[in-house]
Amino acid sequence: DLAMFRSIPNCTVFYPSDAISTEHAIYLAANTKGMCFIRTSQPETAVIYTPQENFEIGQAKVVRHGVNDKVTVIGAGVTLHEALEAADHLSQQGISVRVIDPFTIKPLDAATIISSAKATGGRVITVEDHYREGGIGEAVCAAVSREPDILVHQLAVSGVPQRGKTSELLDMFGISTRHIIAAVTLTLMK
Amino acid sequence: MMANDAKPDVKTVQVLRDTANRLRIHSIRATCASGSGQLTSCCSAAEVVSVLFFHTMKYKQTDPEHPDNDRFILSRGHAAPILYAAWVEVGDISESDLLNLRKLHSDLERHPTPRLPFVDVATGSLGQGLGTACGMAYTGKYLDKASHRVFCLMGDGESSEGSVWEAFAFASHYNLDNLVAVFDVNRLGQSGPAPLEHGADIYQNCCEAFGWNTYLVDGHDVEALCQAFWQASQVKNKPTAIVAKTFKGRGIPNIEDAENWHGKPVPKERADAIVKLIESQIQTNENLIPKSPVEDSPQISITDIKMTSPPAYKVGDKIATQKTYGLALAKLGRANERVIVLSGDTMNSTFSEIFRKEHPERFIECIIAEQNMVSVALGCATRGRTIAFAGAFAAFFTRAFDQLRMGAISQANINLIGSHCGVSTGEDGVSQMALEDLAMFRSTPNCTVFYPSDAISTEHAIYLAANTKGMCFIRTSQPETAVIYTPQENFEIGQAKVVRHGVNDKVTVIGAGVTLHEALEAADHLSQQGISVRVIDPFTIKPLDAATIISSAKATGGRVITVEDHYREGGIGEAVCAAVSREPDILVHQLAVSGVPQRGKTSELLDMFGISTRHIIAAVTLTLMK
Repeated sequence: DLAMFRSIPNCTVFYPSDAISTEHAIYLAANTKGMCFIRTSQPETAVIYTPQENFEIGQAKVVRHGVNDKVTVIGAGVTLHEALEAADHLSQQGISVRVIDPFTIKPLDAATIISSAKATGGRVITVEDHYREGGIGEAVCAAVSREPDILVHQLAVSGVPQRGKTSELLDMFGISTRHIIAAVTLTLMK
Repeated sequence: MMANDAKPDVKTVQVLRDTANRLRIHSIRATCASGSGQLTSCCSAAEVVSVLFFHTMKYKQTDPEHPDNDRFILSRGHAAPILYAAWVEVGDISESDLLNLRKLHSDLERHPTPRLPFVDVATGSLGQGLGTACGMAYTGKYLDKASHRVFCLMGDGESSEGSVWEAFAFASHYNLDNLVAVFDVNRLGQSGPAPLEHGADIYQNCCEAFGWNTYLVDGHDVEALCQAFWQASQVKNKPTAIVAKTFKGRGIPNIEDAENWHGKPVPKERADAIVKLIESQIQTNENLIPKSPVEDSPQISITDIKMTSPPAYKVGDKIATQKTYGLALAKLGRANERVIVLSGDTMNSTFSEIFRKEHPERFIECIIAEQNMVSVALGCATRGRTIAFAGAFAAFFTRAFDQLRMGAISQANINLIGSHCGVSTGEDGVSQMALEDLAMFRSTPNCTVFYPSDAISTEHAIYLAANTKGMCFIRTSQPETAVIYTPQENFEIGQAKVVRHGVNDKVTVIGAGVTLHEALEAADHLSQQGISVRVIDPFTIKPLDAATIISSAKATGGRVITVEDHYREGGIGEAVCAAVSREPDILVHQLAVSGVPQRGKTSELLDMFGISTRHIIAAVTLTLMK
């Protein structure tokens, strides 16, 4: 669906990651000309923003950052929460990662992503609950394609899924906390 | 024998009733064990499924995939437990497997998938089963000329999907008298009464208006069902619809016909009592053996189809790739008798008319109903009975995205050919131009995406697609373009061609279709200015030949330009960006259609929307300035 809606001209694609940003997405969509798509998920996820937080189309949020972040991780919906959990685990091992919530996949906040990438050694990991093609990973790759020294490692659903519990499927298809940690570790080894 | 089929004896009737109740019990146990499931839909269909599986259908119990078997499609996919229950009764699934319904690693999912041998196509997205049933029936009647029949069970809620009625029109037009559709009219949709509630006579009127032989029956009356199915088998030249009036949750006290039980299992505490109640109605302990099928399907082979002669073009010939594919299909049709072509009423525009003239018995006109065309193709290709190619304007495949998505889940083997891609379609205007089809087909799992740039590579794409498992999409264009390969050139999936290179190439330019030719023209101009560029034809966008692209990029200073007759999102540019995303020092400048186009001459549009020779030259110049 991200591939489909991204390829529709002038379509704004929201992918809010909690209740507060979802409500903002609804109001922004109501006030925005052109088509808007809001992508929502079934699992319960934590509210991570305060009610006062402001949201704009094309404005990403840096939801986790430290002084010595080694990698930028970009997730959305359930994978943003997986990324935050991965960031927690990694910080216990002394590795600090920056986590970005894009809020809108189209338009994508390329400026924030690029500056964050540059601040984290050019290392970006994307993780999405979507196939590899046409989604967040490819959008990010395209956005940074003219910046030297930014490398993107994409995590996405790695095959035709099947039924199961959410946590089992996220792990089986390559987009869970464990996989994000492994990707960060691999990226830092290079 | 005939009397027995139409009017089974008293004992058979009782066994069929008992089997229906055993199906209910299996469904209750399975959905209880998994904590959810469409129990109420299973209960309404129990008698229909019992009669079909143990009286009407002819199939080999131990060989569900046999080509002579009658086919059964559960279009109402969420009633999957009753299908599994039927196969428990047949003996192909154990009861313990049934209790693992919907757990991880179980092949028994909430909706049927072809990981199971008795499921031909995945269902669960409603409204698609009948179209695939039409494909199976058409293949059985006209291509195999075989005796097997096709049965499709649908729900009343899903009859709101237009695709159901596209299938109704198709089946009637093609006199598919080997096809039976059953509407389980149980009144209740997902969140309340379905629009027509128990207006079963309205369904009857609709089916008759579409030219189907139609019966209205009590869906819980075993004798009436046996009679109706038997009568259907005697009717020639018309498909049959059986409108079965039923009650959701039939047989479960306090749930029968009550709203809000959709998707809910019986609470565990009540399950045992209910099972006992149903068991108390079972009078016999017998199983009926399914009837054996008539074995009259021809032996066929659809593998290893070779190109009998090289493509008959020479370098410099000018021909549109969308015309080439028509010629190539006709040639392929001579190489194998199971190649069939489906068309969406565009045969004059897409040149599949060439195939129709040469192999009329293998050409299926699907009229302006692309969703149904894709479903019919899926049905034709099941059990390996045909090599199906479906052709339409690429833009119009977008209305079949759900059918394609489900086709991927079904592990389908169909080939789609899209014409009139991109702004190069020109005069027909934007509604006819495909600018997002690469995004759609790339995002479809296990779909090979060919984008050949001349007649010779197009013909190769056709043969490769015919020999490749999984779905294949071939993107073709309207304008005449030059042949650039020789007839001896070999092509492979995932193998790009470097079509222009020198010793000191400064930039790699990747184009496809018309933009490959724009890139070659740009390379000509630039070489006159002393700038040498490398030009790559990817041939397949998925899988993409990342190795060739990366090594070429490294040999040209890390400078890559992509240019495509497609929107920016999800196409060649993003595929290349993703492929090089882990290589340091490779930068990609993407040229793509830069806004919603309009009609115009091809050359004007290429230029207006940023993907012509002039734009490529400008991009190279800009890149070299950095």
